[in-house]
Amino acid sequence: MVSKKKKKYSSGEGAQFMTRKAALKKLQLSLKDFRRICILKGIYPREPRNRKRAQKGAGGIKTLYHTKDIKFLLHEPILWKLRELKVYQQKIRKARAMKEYPRMRKYLRDYPSINIDHIVKERYPTFVDALRDLDDCLTLCFLFSTFPSLKRVPRDQSLLCRRLTVEFMHAIIAAKALRKVFISVKGYYYQAELEGQTITWIVPHHFSFQPQSKDEVDFKIMSTFVEFYTMMLGFVNFKLYHSLNLVYPPKLTAAFSDTDKELVDEQAYVAERIAAMNIPVIKLTGANETEELPEMDIFQTEGEDTQKLEEAKQEAEKVKKLKTMFNGLKFYINREVPREPLVFIIRSFGGEVSWDKDLFVGATFDESDESIAYQIVDRPSMDKQYLSRYYVQPQWVFDSVNARTLLPINKYLMGAVLPPHLSPFVDKTRDQVYKPPEERELLDPNFKPLNEEESGSDIEEASDEDKEEDSEPEDPEQALTKQYQQELQEESTSEDEDGEGGDMDPEKKKLKKEKKKAMAVTTGVPHKEHPYQKEIEDKQAFRLREKLVRKKHRNLYKSMKAGQEKRKKEIWLLRKKRRLHDEKAKQEKKAEKRKQKLQAIEAASV
Amino acid sequence: MPEIKKKKHVSKKNKKDWRKHCDIRDVEEFLEDQRLEERLGRFDSKPDEELFVIDTQGGDEIQEVKTITTVKPCSAKERKRQKLAETPKCFEVLLPTSKVKDPNAKRNHVNPSGTKPTALSKITEIKRLKKGVYEKKVEVARKNRKIALDKKRRAKQNSNTFDVDLWGKDTPEAKGIPQTLCDEFIPPEAQLHNVLPDRRLRPKPAPPKTVVSRAAVEAPHPGISYNPSFKEHQELLQDVVQHEQKLMKREAHLHRVTTGMFSKVTQQERENQWREEMSTGLPQPHNPANDPEPESDGEYKAINPPVQNKKKDHKARRKQKERLAEKERLKRLKVEKKKITDLYKLRQLQSSIYNVHKRQAEEREKRAAKRAVEETTALPALNAHKTPKKEPEFVDPQQLTGDLRQINTKVNLLRDRYESLQRRGALAAAKLMMKKKKRVKSYFKSGHKVTDQDVDRFLKRSAGKK
Repeated sequence: MVSKKKKKYSSGEGAQFMTRKAALKKLQLSLKDFRRICILKGIYPREPRNRKRAQKGAGGIKTLYHTKDIKFLLHEPILWKLRELKVYQQKIRKARAMKEYPRMRKYLRDYPSINIDHIVKERYPTFVDALRDLDDCLTLCFLFSTFPSLKRVPRDQSLLCRRLTVEFMHAIIAAKALRKVFISVKGYYYQAELEGQTITWIVPHHFSFQPQSKDEVDFKIMSTFVEFYTMMLGFVNFKLYHSLNLVYPPKLTAAFSDTDKELVDEQAYVAERIAAMNIPVIKLTGANETEELPEMDIFQTEGEDTQKLEEAKQEAEKVKKLKTMFNGLKFYINREVPREPLVFIIRSFGGEVSWDKDLFVGATFDESDESIAYQIVDRPSMDKQYLSRYYVQPQWVFDSVNARTLLPINKYLMGAVLPPHLSPFVDKTRDQVYKPPEERELLDPNFKPLNEEESGSDIEEASDEDKEEDSEPEDPEQALTKQYQQELQEESTSEDEDGEGGDMDPEKKKLKKEKKKAMAVTTGVPHKEHPYQKEIEDKQAFRLREKLVRKKHRNLYKSMKAGQEKRKKEIWLLRKKRRLHDEKAKQEKKAEKRKQKLQAIEAASV
Repeated sequence: MPEIKKKKHVSKKNKKDWRKHCDIRDVEEFLEDQRLEERLGRFDSKPDEELFVIDTQGGDEIQEVKTITTVKPCSAKERKRQKLAETPKCFEVLLPTSKVKDPNAKRNHVNPSGTKPTALSKITEIKRLKKGVYEKKVEVARKNRKIALDKKRRAKQNSNTFDVDLWGKDTPEAKGIPQTLCDEFIPPEAQLHNVLPDRRLRPKPAPPKTVVSRAAVEAPHPGISYNPSFKEHQELLQDVVQHEQKLMKREAHLHRVTTGMFSKVTQQERENQWREEMSTGLPQPHNPANDPEPESDGEYKAINPPVQNKKKDHKARRKQKERLAEKERLKRLKVEKKKITDLYKLRQLQSSIYNVHKRQAEEREKRAAKRAVEETTALPALNAHKTPKKEPEFVDPQQLTGDLRQINTKVNLLRDRYESLQRRGALAAAKLMMKKKKRVKSYFKSGHKVTDQDVDRFLKRSAGKK
């Protein structure tokens, strides 16, 4: 018996994939609808391992989809809705063609909307999943919130984006979740941390809308993406507000109501949006004012883990400090400064903000308020200045957030040439690069270059010989133990002297001595830890663990370690070079000065 | 000879067999005739005029004349008119098919009950009108319509309210219970009756790796800061320069292998070439300079002089044999010797093999690492169109004012997003085709044309009127 011949491409990669055309036929959808449902459901085209086989022998590059993906789509109830919509659209078209305008208007009014709540839940089974995918969503929503009504974008979409983004910013403010900010030429980069997920998004600079050239971006597709993302952001907002004990939806202003009958200009919209950000959100009754995070527990473990834990703890402390950085500080923003990012940042770290109440709505206090701590200005000089406040440039706020402390303002004063605005989004591998002391100072406000004081003035130089005499202040505990030991020694010597004075027969003496020896309390020697003992043990343990690295990863590990060593060495070498150079320069300077002094003395004596 | 049919003997014992083998066609025919007569009437009773027609015209000539008259086809409109009189096809079913007449010739028409207002109903109608029932009915209808509309509108707005904790456990909506069943009066059994199972039968395959692993918002280059440090900005510019150089190199290469491959020829040279090509094979005028020089002094020489087959003698043969044998012997000796020396060479061989293997392993590793790096950054090929590569952002040094107030940008963030989606494989690359506007040729309908003559005529006429 000959078994039935298997058809080619009926199994394996040929059966796994499906061209877009086949998918359209299978789902009985138009291309437009298919694109839409794919975006909504998160179905993406695939790249096969072997294209020729996947395309069933056909050449060229076709858009392929997983057959399973398409079969999955087949079960979607929205599919039926889309088909119904098609019929509905035909009705509208017919009414228009027949010039039955009342009927057409009725159809347009009753145009059925598709509910996609269940898709959000399906694509993101947990809240954390949704947060993880929020980057794209936020960037697009912030971008669309600046758009006017466009041809291929539904009219209410930008309005909805505006509402949702402001709500999200409020949630970030309430959660104090903002971590990093960066002003780039592209826009403002923000990074927040929610439920352990870092979320990064870009907010464009506020310009008037620039018309997009039509052949660059498919607006219809982007609008579909935004349609899904607004839905997702709405539910994320709801969840965030509830976890923060806030009322959702928050009552912000009338700006986001649907009454767009009155023409409001763009500026007014923006002003209202910023004003909305300055309003504290209503808390649920019975909610605690401050939620203290439990302090991190450190479990005793060895080696690098403790180091990592220590680092983590420090990080947590820094973050805690950052969260309350602007607490109780009042800021006044001059009118030339972009308000939106500043209000968002200052409010999210606990500060209070206000602006010119004549120009924009939502100001909370006046410029003449004496309790204002900082006024943010972006102009070289001002006519009227208050003594009670600092006048700083906006970059100070951003740099302070990135440094996680209030930076000294002397470099950011009004009219000063600003230090460069560095990106906080640099990866850690860049740490293993030599940085000259000047750069290190920029990055780390606590870093003190060694020769700063010495190079400063003559007095310091004169007294640098005295410096050596100053002994370092010891630990008080160490001093105490030293004293105690000295006292003990003194006592023991005196006792010995006493013993020698007495006269007794040698036998008794011997016995007594023995007895005494048995009874004697030997002087306690304080347990002295070998200072390097622990380190040595740690090192040994570390080496042992190194040996346990699997053979698969051993080479990688070795090369990593070697690279680290190499970079460390380079840094060390360059630092040494710099130190030697600095010392040499200093000595030369000193010699020069001494020479000058001598010359002056000689000149005076002659 | 006519064939004599053999009579077949069949059993007609039972009723079934009887029926099977009895020819009852004639009886049935008769009955059929009778039924027909009943329907159409008997032939004998009908007058001849009904059954026969006197052919008064006769012959084929007449028929021809008839055809000529009927040739004229009627227009579509006329055909429609003709059809107007016919009973529509859809009503044909309602017509009686039988020719049997209704035995009751005069039947009374009976209206269905309720169609005619009775005296009693008239009174009640008046009463209800007085009561204002009809106005109320209209009112209720209007109200209902409004409620329905409101409901529709609310359903539409529902999509923007976000009042469900989607990731909560306890809400019925989260379980997938339809909204119509979310009511406190509906028992939980009824609510849960139609809920889909948690786990779908056909789970969705995992999304492509590129979509999952690649960051949506990449960490920005520190050089694109609005007020970058000198070093970082220089690094950014270096990146841009390198990128641009790569492009230029590629372009130069393309030029070299395409346009540059063909040497340029002047017009004159080309003509000469053409002339030469066209005149190949044609008899050339005799040129004595081209004649080959005679080598010898006119002596005859055959092209293929005869060859003599000189045989080798015995000695030569023997010598040759010996030579070959010696050669073979030496060869064998060499091989034997090599076998012995190879034994001593074993370590060297081993080490050389080891080295080769090591080198190959290293190369393999390098290749794998390179492939891995490429895989993480490779652009997905999802379409015949190429996915746009990520280009380093260029910040013009003159654009940097170090001032937040005067910041200006040329970056199109939307395009950036769009291309990022394509680079992550969430979208297939596409070349957007704009719809071309149809170029409509405009012309005047002949009757509506206004020429100069028309204008003149109009002016004349208007002048004459005055």
